[in-house]
Amino acid sequence: MNAQKVISGFFIILAMTLNFGFFYGDIDNFSHHSPYELFVAIVVNFIATILKLGDKTQLGSVLLATSLVADIQLIAAAVVWGISLYVADNGIQDGAQIIVSLSGGALLANFVSVILFMGDTLKSKR
Amino acid sequence: MHSNNILWIIIRRMRTPFLVIILTFSITIIGLVLIPGVDANGKPYHMNFLDAFYFVSFMASTIGFGEIPYEFTYAQRLWVLFSIYVAVIGWFYAIGTLVALIQDKKLLTELKISKFTKRVASLKEPFVIILGYNHTTKELINKLSQDGKRIVVIDKNQDKVDELELENFIPEVYAISADTTAPDTLRLAGIKKRNCKALITLFDNDFKNTKVALLAKLLNKNINIVVKSTTKEQTEHLRNLGIKNIIDPFLLVANRFGLALSKPNLWILEMLIFGHDLYIRDYEALPKGKYIICGYGRMGKALREALDKANVECAFIDLKSAVHKSKKQSAIFGDAEDYNTLLEAGTKEASAIISATKDDLINLTILLTAKKINPNIYTIARENTIDDITIFNSAKIDRVYILEEIISEHAHKLVSKPLTYRFLQEIYKQSDEWGKNLTNKLKKETNYNPEIFEIRVVKSQAFALTNYLKDGHSVNLGLLARSLEDRTKRSNILFLMVKNRKEEVTLLPDDNYEVKVSDRILVASTYEAKNDFLTLINNYNEFFYVVEGHDYKFGILNKLLKD
Repeated sequence: MNAQKVISGFFIILAMTLNFGFFYGDIDNFSHHSPYELFVAIVVNFIATILKLGDKTQLGSVLLATSLVADIQLIAAAVVWGISLYVADNGIQDGAQIIVSLSGGALLANFVSVILFMGDTLKSKR
Repeated sequence: MHSNNILWIIIRRMRTPFLVIILTFSITIIGLVLIPGVDANGKPYHMNFLDAFYFVSFMASTIGFGEIPYEFTYAQRLWVLFSIYVAVIGWFYAIGTLVALIQDKKLLTELKISKFTKRVASLKEPFVIILGYNHTTKELINKLSQDGKRIVVIDKNQDKVDELELENFIPEVYAISADTTAPDTLRLAGIKKRNCKALITLFDNDFKNTKVALLAKLLNKNINIVVKSTTKEQTEHLRNLGIKNIIDPFLLVANRFGLALSKPNLWILEMLIFGHDLYIRDYEALPKGKYIICGYGRMGKALREALDKANVECAFIDLKSAVHKSKKQSAIFGDAEDYNTLLEAGTKEASAIISATKDDLINLTILLTAKKINPNIYTIARENTIDDITIFNSAKIDRVYILEEIISEHAHKLVSKPLTYRFLQEIYKQSDEWGKNLTNKLKKETNYNPEIFEIRVVKSQAFALTNYLKDGHSVNLGLLARSLEDRTKRSNILFLMVKNRKEEVTLLPDDNYEVKVSDRILVASTYEAKNDFLTLINNYNEFFYVVEGHDYKFGILNKLLKD
């Protein structure tokens, strides 16, 4: 068993599941989308990104790219949340759809990341 | 690839600090959001993520704007107290790592390599790679820079590279410290580039030279490789590798010496090519009679061959500098025993003495001792490093052969003045009579201090001439020797050699020699005639005046009139 594989696998998959947890639910209904879950998703995504840094292989680069995409999408979602809640006039309802769809995009990137990670693991002969 | 290396070094080092920052920030933010507070009206509230992130950001960086949005409760303060220690330490750890990274040796090396690579890649002109920075190559760089050649230097030692950078050569010389015998380094220096014209390796260590030469040959078979070699075996090896430009300083000195004794006129010509004038002062001519050679190493043996060839009587004192130093415990020659050695070798009746050991101080003291025995003896010294020149000068030695200078002179001619070098090889084959005729001719035409220069018949160097030839006209050398003031007269110019496109040379071509495009011409002339000649072959008006007797006519009107 490879401890490093366990840790990186844990964070990569957790990033996806948390992302999914936030994304799942009615797009208009904000009681289905917890801000805490978004926050944790962002943090775990960051950690996953950093764990992917420093791998010089082709696959490592693509993995890093998917993580960066997910990071950007989730940060954008958080920024939209902050702006619609505190800066815009009409409150959270204005940005709701944008936030959820942004996190949906991040989910897709995380999904690709997990697939690549699994592919790499299955390919390994050790 | 190397700029990538820099990025990887940074990423690898910054992984842990980044993780620490993310963890500390997220833990403290979550805590602040979860712990309930009390607003200005005493109602309970929860901090939102924006406030929490804002607060942690200024707390961790110790900016500290105070408790916002409302004054904290004790529960919050307890959490903040914990947060301060966690987040501030995490933050400082990250900053500290970053600062340490900037001073990291490996990163700095990578930065230097990437800067060097970029500069070499930006070189568009032809350039030369020189390995090792020392007295010899410094001389060489000076000479090549004067010819406008671009140079890339590799030295193992960073101190040497720093020294080179302080010299401020113009045009700028790019240097890097790296393993000189590694193929990667040579590649870094641009050996595979098309405009890399030559590689010069002049280390003291013959094996190193051979190794580099072999590598260079394998990496790029089109470049001109100039190698120093001090033994016959090594030279043989190099020749087998197909390397033509081999510099053996001992052989060069011996040749020069033999030439001076047996074919003095050719010797004068050789001196002329290396910057001496045609006037030979009394003390410069080697005397006839018996010679004594001190030191029977590589140079002593080469000198012996030269002296034998010239039928000069000579005696040897087998003296090895290292052995002498360990036996006498001093680097000085000249105690009673040494004195007797010199006497026995016949210093009293000899006409010249040569000191040819590896040690400059021993060489000098040998000659000083010999002078005590025989004040009229002609003294000749081997000087190993240029640095000692002032001592040799003040010791009033009659003739000094500075090995480093001879090496750099030859390397310079090989790389920058190939035609001149070829001319040198050609004159060695000639008789002394031939040399006498040529020196007399030179003295008559160009006085005692002619300029020697080479041009190639191409547009960039001879604009008018090349275009005229390309139009299908023919020009012979006699036309080019005419004066700009009066075309019926000859200017003070002498053509020494022409090399055509097929690499065939014609020594001292006569006036009927027909010039072709891309011929290379070696010229000797006075300073004034040089300027005139260069104007003539480049300027249409002057060219047509000399060749056809009238100024160049151009334009449509002229064409119409002709038809």
